[in-house]
Amino acid sequence: MGYLGRRAVVLLVAALSMFVIAACGGDDDSGGGGGGGGGGEAKEGGSITISQTSQPDFLDPALSYTVNGWEPMWLVYTPLLAYPHKEGVEGSTLTAGLAESLPKVSSDGKTYELTLRKGLKYSDGSPVKATDFEHSIKRVLNLESGGSAFFLVIDGAQKYVDDGKKDADISGIDADDTSGKITIHLTTPDGSFSNVLAMNFASLVPGDTPFENLTKTPPPGVGPYKITESVPNREFVMQKNKFFNLPGFPKGHIDTITTKIIKSAEKQAQDVISGDLDYMQDPPPADIKPEVKAKYSDRYEEHTTSSTYYFFMNTRVAPFDKKEVREAVNYGIDKPGLARIFAGEVQPGCSFLPPGMPGYDEKLDVEDCPWGNPNDPPDLEKARQMIKDAGAEGAKVTVWSNNDDPSDKVGEAYADMLNKIGLKATPKIIDGGVYFQTIGSAKTAPQTGFANWFADFPHPKNFFFLVDGKSIQPTNNQNFGNVDDPEITKGIAELNQEPEVTDEVAAKWGDLNKKLVERGWVVPYGHRKLATFLSERMDFDNCSLFHPVYYNDYSSFCLK
Amino acid sequence: MATEPATEYSFEGPAAFEEEAKREQVAGMGPWRLGLRRMRRNKVAILFGLLFVLLVAICVAAPLWANKVAHTTSAENHLSDTITVNGKKTNVVSLDGVPIGPQYFKADGKFFLGADGNGRDIMVRLLYGGRNSLLIGITAAFMTTILSIILGLVSGFFGGFTDGTIRAALDVLWSFPVIILGVALGVALALGGFKLGPISIQGDSLAIPILVIGVVYVPYMARPIRGQVLSLREKEFVEAARAQGAGPFRIMFTEMIPNLTSTILVFFTLLIANAVLLEAALSFLGAGVQPPEPSWGTMISDGVERIATAPHLTIVPGLMLVITVLSLNVFGDGIRDALDPRAKVRLEH
Repeated sequence: MGYLGRRAVVLLVAALSMFVIAACGGDDDSGGGGGGGGGGEAKEGGSITISQTSQPDFLDPALSYTVNGWEPMWLVYTPLLAYPHKEGVEGSTLTAGLAESLPKVSSDGKTYELTLRKGLKYSDGSPVKATDFEHSIKRVLNLESGGSAFFLVIDGAQKYVDDGKKDADISGIDADDTSGKITIHLTTPDGSFSNVLAMNFASLVPGDTPFENLTKTPPPGVGPYKITESVPNREFVMQKNKFFNLPGFPKGHIDTITTKIIKSAEKQAQDVISGDLDYMQDPPPADIKPEVKAKYSDRYEEHTTSSTYYFFMNTRVAPFDKKEVREAVNYGIDKPGLARIFAGEVQPGCSFLPPGMPGYDEKLDVEDCPWGNPNDPPDLEKARQMIKDAGAEGAKVTVWSNNDDPSDKVGEAYADMLNKIGLKATPKIIDGGVYFQTIGSAKTAPQTGFANWFADFPHPKNFFFLVDGKSIQPTNNQNFGNVDDPEITKGIAELNQEPEVTDEVAAKWGDLNKKLVERGWVVPYGHRKLATFLSERMDFDNCSLFHPVYYNDYSSFCLK
Repeated sequence: MATEPATEYSFEGPAAFEEEAKREQVAGMGPWRLGLRRMRRNKVAILFGLLFVLLVAICVAAPLWANKVAHTTSAENHLSDTITVNGKKTNVVSLDGVPIGPQYFKADGKFFLGADGNGRDIMVRLLYGGRNSLLIGITAAFMTTILSIILGLVSGFFGGFTDGTIRAALDVLWSFPVIILGVALGVALALGGFKLGPISIQGDSLAIPILVIGVVYVPYMARPIRGQVLSLREKEFVEAARAQGAGPFRIMFTEMIPNLTSTILVFFTLLIANAVLLEAALSFLGAGVQPPEPSWGTMISDGVERIATAPHLTIVPGLMLVITVLSLNVFGDGIRDALDPRAKVRLEH
């Protein structure tokens, strides 16, 4: 799951085609992309220092659920299935990782068969075994990882959790070390399960890895890099893994990557400008961004991510229990204005499904948006009239948002927009650490407020559960608006059964997306952009790949 | 956290006042007249007092500026709006999110001090923020004063169990650093509001910071008042009143409060300054004034994010805060010097 800057943020599928550049082919022997779009040779070796604003939540693949953790760790750990190191759509297409090929799925969609590649070694030189997969999943479940919910569909996984015995068997996973065969039985078909198998949580670690948080001493993995040093809240060091040889996957160019934790985004940006840092994970702050864009455009680039920022409207609470009010809000939102609060780092839009996601229709984000082109000013007159007609003029509304920058400003702006269409709104800003739990509680019954979602994997299910009538629950509800459109809920249930997202299935998801938007159940207002900003000594043209799922690919980085 | 009594106060009593009056060769002159005479001589205090009055007047006139000059409100966003500056259309907030800087009178007074990240007029927010800060400061100081007088009088006059209970309660409050206690109460009340019997206050109401600040400063004033009452109740005029059959409340109101007036007055002015400062600190930390209401504290907090490109967003409300607190402190010191030069009344926390 993902709320940027909080728990869970991993993006998928960025990718407006304008950003899709052919990967550098200079490293083809080692397989995979690994380069940017310059077409030149990538220089090998050297050390770089990069920065993150806050320490990754965990440096343990079973536990980490933030972009701070996933961006470096997808180069240290590889699951059975993976995504190619490519930009755009190619990068979000499932491929075999540690498995020999994509899984063989039974006709009922409940059994997945995979075979582990032969001769694989962890970064400590020990062999990779098929039974390590079950151990890795057990760690996710036993450690109560934020990702454990994804694996509860495996037969016996819930029992394993309920029994609380770490060495117990998960009945739905059969693995044979001799043949390398792994069979997974599900309790019910799950069309996104292949994507789940490609999540960082499902990365393989040795079978004797303890059932504890190993952030200080990250376990060995299979990836182009290994973490050799980890000092929480200060730095961690990644070095090339000499045992890594996975056909189709890059081995990395830089020998040593040191990630420093530097709280001030401004200092990070100044250090990248001066060359003291080679890359900063967060975009430069709004203060410095105009200067960066003007003076260093040769090493700065923005990318639209697979994310959606939206306002939920609680359909069970007045005045949003009226369709006309929800529609009026959709007409009255100043989307270009909101993009400015994000320093231009939000692409105004209207579609709930984000760019790069199967079923996404770019036209819905522009001229086909039923509430007017999101790049144009809102139709306030119409919105005001609709509020008046609905008898909701002057209705008191509390707008919920959190104090994570710039969500607080967005909440204030949204309240002002509601006031401009005739409601009487006041913002309620609460701490970001408890925000989503608070608005996800039925007791709170929030009227409307800020929400966002970054895709965990490129499957529409990962977005539609946010508006699925069946996902409504009294606590930790993610369907904040209690959206329960019978047709949409039924459609989600049917499409979830599809084992594969074919073009036809994607089109059906696209239809659901259109219905959701046209019926005004939520107010999507844009998709987040992130940036690549490198130092002068880095080869930006040839060695900067922005991956749709894992963002900036450090294995593509090289020096000039 | 205070490690020793935070409020320093020495009470010399009427005898000391008479000595002082003799020294100044104004024998026979009443304490208020003498105070006024001393105050008139203290030009600096008068100057800062007038400065404070001017600040209050400017802030009270906020709606005038908002309606007649800026044509906006403190909460209205102008994210996608443009204004005409020197005949040229300019975005209030650029596409990159950079707000317009100070325009002074180039746009007929609109965005006089520029805009914030939401395109709100800084000048309007500054004035309304001042209104809120001063309203909270003065009301909270008043609330603290009333509570402190009641608790100090009751505790000091009755003594025994009543005194022990009140003193223990004040000690508990005192044991928490003001900011920590303020943040804890502010955050809790801002989220859930305040409900006590028929009294219900919404979490985003200005009454919440008033309540929080009004409560946390009580021990700093109530304890010295209690000390003074302990001393006063042994005086002959109290004994005389008691001998004449006056009840405890009559003695408190007619004999004690008049003798506490100068202390209360000095404390009150100092409390306003401290309350304004605490309000700014709480609002800066998100535990005071809640959006979209402005306050100097929230404005400083908002401005910090843009300090490199728009330092005025932080400097201007900061400067207003400094001037307000300085003027109140100097004026308060002047009142203290005028009414009781030997008293060493000050708030420390």
